[in-house]
Amino acid sequence: MAYRHFEAIEKNAALLGVLTAIMVSIGGLAEITPLFMRAHEVSAPAGVKPYDPLRLAGRDIYVREGCYLCHSQMIRALRAETQRYGHYSIAEESVYDRPFQWGSKRTGPDLARVGGKYSDQWHVLHMMNPRQVVPQSNMPGYPWLAKTTLDASDIQARMRGLRKLGDPYSDADIAGAADAVKDKTELDALVAYLQGLGIRNEPTAAVPSHPATDGGAP
Amino acid sequence: MSLFWSLWIMFLVVLNLGITFFLFLWAPRAKIPVREDGTSGHVWAHGVLREGVRRLPMWWIIMSAAMFVIGIAYLVLFPGFGRYKGVLNWTSHGELAANTAANDAKLDDMMKRFSLYPIEQLAGDPNAQQLGKRLFQDNCAACHGRAATGNILLGAPDLTDKDWLYGGNGKDIYTSIHDGRSGVMPPWASLGEDNVKNLAQYVLGLSGRPHDEKAAAAAKPLFVTCAACHGPEGKGNPALGAPDLTDQVWLHGGTQADIEHSIRDGRQGHMPAWSPRLTDDQIRVLASYVYHVSHTDHADSR
Repeated sequence: MAYRHFEAIEKNAALLGVLTAIMVSIGGLAEITPLFMRAHEVSAPAGVKPYDPLRLAGRDIYVREGCYLCHSQMIRALRAETQRYGHYSIAEESVYDRPFQWGSKRTGPDLARVGGKYSDQWHVLHMMNPRQVVPQSNMPGYPWLAKTTLDASDIQARMRGLRKLGDPYSDADIAGAADAVKDKTELDALVAYLQGLGIRNEPTAAVPSHPATDGGAP
Repeated sequence: MSLFWSLWIMFLVVLNLGITFFLFLWAPRAKIPVREDGTSGHVWAHGVLREGVRRLPMWWIIMSAAMFVIGIAYLVLFPGFGRYKGVLNWTSHGELAANTAANDAKLDDMMKRFSLYPIEQLAGDPNAQQLGKRLFQDNCAACHGRAATGNILLGAPDLTDKDWLYGGNGKDIYTSIHDGRSGVMPPWASLGEDNVKNLAQYVLGLSGRPHDEKAAAAAKPLFVTCAACHGPEGKGNPALGAPDLTDQVWLHGGTQADIEHSIRDGRQGHMPAWSPRLTDDQIRVLASYVYHVSHTDHADSR
């Protein structure tokens, strides 16, 4: 190859763009494509069930309000994380999450296993105004969630949509959804969703002891 | 990883390294036509900027060569080249297990020492208190507050006072943390609003606060119902977690309105069980920390 070939690339923006894209995509083709093509092989472990209607509604509110902008649901395999949040997350736990809530943006704590850590009442007070329970918190309040009731027919349509994507909802599940969310507010749904996070999801094999912190040991 | 995808990754890794290595070898040797003024003739901004032609500096060549050495050494040592696991057999889960084991080993002696003492005695151990404080901030402070002074809105008790709903010795505190607690005061709106208001006056009287004596006297016979949990004298019952009504400590607020609300609508308090999240050793240390803060004079630190 001679210098004039490179001169041609340098002087032709379109050619430069195409060749740059090819070089940049090599990393993605090697790192992303194999996992992407194998995604369908990931199946739900025994404890992981599709969201029940109330939690499904809560999940959609979680996404709508952009909670993921500050909270991840992915505990990394690092001691500082497993001691604080519990067992590291595995891909199988997220098979019913569309979209998944992984990430590394943590203005607030990770929520992958927050279910049961606090009482329902704590979550209600916290959502209305986080400063009521954590004076140092910089999280915004979400008081309007308590004022809006859920729309049952909407939930059923969402469940039918998820069934098309492969979530194993039965006809009875979908028919029962109307009763499950009747007279519930968005706040009820969000609290139900949060209280279910990480419950019975933990991988059973090879669970390391995971104390909450090292306690600043000497 | 299947053979196909393994080969796919290997191919791309070799391709990428190959192209960059070719450029690395070729670039210093490339014959660039140079004009008399030492530029390539490429101009920008109507000739204000011109492209000079110089040899690649040695630091650049050495650093680029080092990148290839480091990159290839990485692929030899760590997983990255298809199915090849690397000489070090490194995995993120293996590293986590090793880190956790190393930390447990470091704490082992201390934890063994802690297990020899009763919780009350552990409360005087500075190491246990340092450990307990961290555990408390991470797990308990959300409801009880960082200073452990509780939260009236939630009915989360102040842990720094001498008043205990479920008993305040080491074993009681341990049980509260390990198994959680659920306190329920049923709603008494069915008694009628007048009786609720009168009962509130009676309860105010129990703790020796200003109240309407006539209303309190009217409610006295009704207090028999309350006495089932709070005792005939309103002294509470640690077996049920029924609060002592004769002291000045109010779990859900002590104003007349708060007390009326408590009687009319009832109250519920829920402390989650921590046994699924914390080890027994950690719960003992936490219990000792709570015991410690309740036996410390906080007047100065506040």
